[in-house]
Amino acid sequence: MKTNKFLTLVLTIVASLAIVSCVQDDDYTIPTSLGDEENARLNTLLANGTEVSIAEAKAMYTEGDFIEPIDENIYIKGYVSSSDRSGNFFKEFYLQDSPSSPTTAIKVIINQVDTYNQFNFGREVYVSLKDLFIGEERVGNGVTAIGGGTETDQYGTTVTSLGQTRARTHVFRSSVTEEIVPLSVTVSQINSSLVGVFVQLNDVEFADNVLGKRYFDPMEDFDTKRAVQSCGGVNYTSINLETSGFSTFKNELLPEGNGTLKAVVNKTFDGASVVLALNSIDDVNLEGERCSLAVAIFSEDFEMVTNNTNLDLPGWTNFAEAGNWVWREKTFDNNGYTEFSTFNSGSPVNIAWLVSPGIDMDAQDDEKLNFSAAQHHLESPANTLEVFISTDFDGTDVLGATWEAVSASLPTQDNSWYEMVDSGLIDISGYTGTLYVAFKVTGSGTDTSLDGAYQIDNFNIFATE
Amino acid sequence: MKNSLFIFLFGIFSTVTAVAQQTVVKGSVTESISLNPIPNVIITIEGTEITTKTDANGLFEFTTGLPLGEQILNVSKEDYVAKRYPIVINEGQTVNITDMNIVRDTNIDLFTINLTDDELDDDSGGLDNISGLLQSSQDVFQRTAAFEWSSSFFRVRGLDSENGSVLINGIEMNKVFDGRPQWSDWGGLNDMLRNQELTTGLQPSAYNFGGVLGTTNMNVRASQYREGGRVTYSSSNRSYTNRIMASYASGLLEGGWSYAVMGGRRWGSEGFQDGTLYDANSFFVAIEKQINEKHSLNFTSMYTPNRRGKSSPNTQEVYDLKDIKYNEYWGWLDGEKKNSRIKQIEEPIFMLNHYWDINSKTTLNTNVGYQYGKIGNSRLDFGGGANPSPAYYQNLPSYFLADTDGPDYAGAYIAEQNFMNDGQIDWERILDANVTNNSVGESGAYVLYEDRTDDRQFSANTIFNTEINENIVFNAAVNYKNLKSKNFGEIIDLLGSTGYLNVDTFDGFQFDNQNPDRIVGEGDKYRYNYNIYADIISGYAQAQFKYSKIDFYLSASLTSTSYQREGLWENSAFLGNLSLGKGEKLNFTGVGGKGGFTYKITGKHLIDVNAGYITKAPTIRNSYSNSRDNNSVVDNITEEKITSFDASYIFRSPIVKAKITGFYTKIEDANEISFYYADGITNIGEEFNDTSAFVQETLQGVDKRHIGAELGIEAQVTPTIKLKGVAAVGQFTYDNNPNLYLTSTSFGRSPTYKSNLKDYKVAGGPQQAYSVGFEYRDPDYWWFGATVNYLASTYVDVSPFLRTENFYLANDGLPINNYDPEVATELLKQEQFDNYFTVNLTGGKSWRIGDYYIGVFASVNNLLDEVYRTGGFEQARNANYTELLADNQTPKRQFGSKYWYGRGATYFVNVNFRF
Repeated sequence: MKTNKFLTLVLTIVASLAIVSCVQDDDYTIPTSLGDEENARLNTLLANGTEVSIAEAKAMYTEGDFIEPIDENIYIKGYVSSSDRSGNFFKEFYLQDSPSSPTTAIKVIINQVDTYNQFNFGREVYVSLKDLFIGEERVGNGVTAIGGGTETDQYGTTVTSLGQTRARTHVFRSSVTEEIVPLSVTVSQINSSLVGVFVQLNDVEFADNVLGKRYFDPMEDFDTKRAVQSCGGVNYTSINLETSGFSTFKNELLPEGNGTLKAVVNKTFDGASVVLALNSIDDVNLEGERCSLAVAIFSEDFEMVTNNTNLDLPGWTNFAEAGNWVWREKTFDNNGYTEFSTFNSGSPVNIAWLVSPGIDMDAQDDEKLNFSAAQHHLESPANTLEVFISTDFDGTDVLGATWEAVSASLPTQDNSWYEMVDSGLIDISGYTGTLYVAFKVTGSGTDTSLDGAYQIDNFNIFATE
Repeated sequence: MKNSLFIFLFGIFSTVTAVAQQTVVKGSVTESISLNPIPNVIITIEGTEITTKTDANGLFEFTTGLPLGEQILNVSKEDYVAKRYPIVINEGQTVNITDMNIVRDTNIDLFTINLTDDELDDDSGGLDNISGLLQSSQDVFQRTAAFEWSSSFFRVRGLDSENGSVLINGIEMNKVFDGRPQWSDWGGLNDMLRNQELTTGLQPSAYNFGGVLGTTNMNVRASQYREGGRVTYSSSNRSYTNRIMASYASGLLEGGWSYAVMGGRRWGSEGFQDGTLYDANSFFVAIEKQINEKHSLNFTSMYTPNRRGKSSPNTQEVYDLKDIKYNEYWGWLDGEKKNSRIKQIEEPIFMLNHYWDINSKTTLNTNVGYQYGKIGNSRLDFGGGANPSPAYYQNLPSYFLADTDGPDYAGAYIAEQNFMNDGQIDWERILDANVTNNSVGESGAYVLYEDRTDDRQFSANTIFNTEINENIVFNAAVNYKNLKSKNFGEIIDLLGSTGYLNVDTFDGFQFDNQNPDRIVGEGDKYRYNYNIYADIISGYAQAQFKYSKIDFYLSASLTSTSYQREGLWENSAFLGNLSLGKGEKLNFTGVGGKGGFTYKITGKHLIDVNAGYITKAPTIRNSYSNSRDNNSVVDNITEEKITSFDASYIFRSPIVKAKITGFYTKIEDANEISFYYADGITNIGEEFNDTSAFVQETLQGVDKRHIGAELGIEAQVTPTIKLKGVAAVGQFTYDNNPNLYLTSTSFGRSPTYKSNLKDYKVAGGPQQAYSVGFEYRDPDYWWFGATVNYLASTYVDVSPFLRTENFYLANDGLPINNYDPEVATELLKQEQFDNYFTVNLTGGKSWRIGDYYIGVFASVNNLLDEVYRTGGFEQARNANYTELLADNQTPKRQFGSKYWYGRGATYFVNVNFRF
């Protein structure tokens, strides 16, 4: 009897418990409202604000000026080009102005780590600039950044990080994540105008002296620079890849091959130099054979000349098409070179050719021409130096050969007198047979505006064997 | 039981006749309401061995060996309030006391409340509460310690609960892992755990050798429950909000069967601390078959799955910005408070017990027990995201004020406002991060995982008791325990991501080097995976001697313990057998010996003296320096040695009972393992040029000394009013400078330092406690009590690493340049918390309606809402002089100690219905 009563009671209790006694469960389903607030804020911004380009936003800052908060309801749109996924960026990200063929980028400094899991690479991001600040984090570092405040010390005014709470009301993501097409550049094209842009370098490799090392040198406190070089010529062109001691790949060995490298153009902490910074080690694809520098297959440094004599080096053809004067051997300060000057020649027109010895173009590849040239007393563009190439010159008849003009970097009136200008590497690999290079100067011994002089030195034909 | 209610002889009909030559004491006992006779009431003449039980008609009689003069007759029975009657025995006369009545103890529930339910099983505090060991005590000191001081984490003699042995039906339930009883495994079964036998301190137990805090045996035999049922409802704002329990016991049925069942539920979305959910169910069943007069077989099973939200210790800066209820572990998600740290325990217990009464003097009790299940502690891991802790130091004003360029007041203000206005886990950001990562094919930035311990333990023992003669009792037992403990992390919820990388993102090591860069999903193991095997064989033998003037005992034990770790994953920081496969097998031999006597100067004045020496294996927790990652064993590991001595003077008069005890306990060769993130590690070695790392700290060869005195006094000043006064004064200190070394995946192993801990106070509750109070018990079945308690000498847990030479040596091995010993002394001074008062009230009433009883009970703890610290620990983050000084010189300390605060004013109300 007691038992029955008891059972009734227990059943009643169990039933009532089931109704009233729920506590927090294990359900972590993503709420459908996730992101609604951000979307609403973005829509308000798009409806009421005015878009400015990233370039325009950057132009709002002039180095050295006091930084005022932006008081207009303007915003920028950009695409995240950096990632702190691997720890190589810290409390910052870059926005470039387009997912492909970007022209510029701006940094956003934010008091938040692991921004990649919010502002992921390629994400379309809008920054409402009103009440924010545009400037540098370090006076004169040349990196324009958006921040949440300013600080002024004896060096000037700098911007400070945007707090996470304010970021919520100023930095919005759209639902779009674009594929970022890296801007293809050469090493020498990288400069501070590209800071923040995601670029790709082809045919590069780590410098010889860092091979066998790791991305990060544990003896350094914060960052390690490792030179990346490109072979394209007789000398390497190189740029540093800078890696943080907080990056996850810091202890990886540097790859030893040649290939492509994708990275963000960045600056060193003090702004002193432009460097590259990796988003991810996956962007390093240096598996191919290392490149080799070109070697000179023909070289004339004019060191064996006799000062103030007509040039008579073996194999060279020294020919006056008009007037009598020809190219002269010169030395100055223990450096030999050749020069053609029409000053006081007496001839109304002087045209002088200097033709190199014949070069066999079939014994090697990737031939490149390089020389240095200078001028002095040049007063008119009509007083010219021209460079030609012929493959049918017979060794004597200069005017009978077919000469093809070559584009080279040559001295002009803008250059200082005697300043040796590098011609650049002139690709001549398309020629076969025996190739001759000719320098042709046109001037006058009577017209004083046309009686300047041209000097040639360090004539080289490079090739890879 | 708990309140020995002294009743004057007024109104009691007693006759003294001189008819016979024989000296006789006899009488009868009835139930106070129904006036029915009660059988099996224990009648004792206090201070003597003379005892008997009432028969079926409630009658009893003593005829032999009676002491003459003024004596106290003690009338007691389980579940009834005991009474004490003063009588005068004259030679050749008969004392006849009829119709002594005793009352059902309707407020038994009263005190089991804040015990099995409360902080007892709350290890989130890292504080250990021993009050469960004492709840069945009748001693005023121990009851006060259990009921009045438990919310202050007072520990008797400054000792951990691992020094007390908890048995259920004779099987020891202390966990092999840390030696502590896991109260949650039988939480919410109050009605079924009422039959408890307690021996305190070194006093001999009939079940096992016990620890220096004694042995509690909970008897859960089906036949031992009184027939009837009980339904209880409770409401509280302490840990759970609601509790419902129902139990029924059959009593002895035809055919020798008996059974008892119970079910209960405790739940609440939030206790005193914010976001601390409570979700616990309890089930119990016991069936016993009395096979014949000599043999009985019992089966008992209990299953108490429970989940609790934990609460965080916080720095003072955080408490100042929020309040003492603040808990950083929860955040809002979809309109609900979600606590990221849930402790979940599901460890059902099954036991089979055989009772054999070999003869009237000798019993043999054989038990086998099996327990399996899981303990899980959840937490957020953030391998690809920012630390989600809202109270992370970089989110607090102090971080901005400590800016190396000078205080950043603007930043501090913003941080302060953010923290005050929000300051909880941002679940949406966490989910958004994972969703963002999904969209670009990255693995999850955050994950919710659980540190799991899945134990399978088999126990068997046999306990032998025999009365060699009326003066000598002999006890012996043999025990065997076998444990397989599976330890691993497990992903509970991916939080919207598609998978999580099983790699240590902090320093890039593979957790499972055989399956590198594995993406794990829900239900997959994560971080670590290993087994621990333990085998423990023990035995004890004991003789107790009882004579009229003196009782004494001698007891000895022998324990063989072995542990072995088996790594199931190879951690790439510890290649090969360093982490994978079976490690070294550890073997320990523990011996124990103890003895003591009670000398009865008179029935009123007694002297009790106990002494013991115990060596025992360190617990598993303190045997491995970093069991999650590798097989490394603590250097120079050896058995712990405990020497304990106490002496008491006991005074018992009809009105006053008092006991004063002095004690001395010394623990030697103990180990302590802890984990934390340290900054300012300077002397690790040349290879490691960083100064911060996540480390495991091993403190080896620790000696501690616990001395002190205890006083308990109670006086029944009128039949209805009892006054109580209790005091505990102790000094618990480190007694040597133990070895200390650090291990870390970042640098391997540090040199072995000396940690200069000698004379620092051992943390853990107040070392001094005082209580005065009264109880009023009205004849109309209502009662009321109040106590005022004063708790003092509570200390912060000091960081041992800060007390090594790493603190003052630079990395060239020379003292730090600007080292100033006076400043250092100030920096390293142990913080003592403020002393405080608490006032606790209790009261209740019971009614009888026909065959039913209704009881109401209510209590208020900390009536005055006193704000007090119960404990705290120094953060070892600033591990050297320079860093600690710098932190102390900032406007607000960034890495100050973290504290626990006691609860403010709380209530508990209980209604029960019995039939």
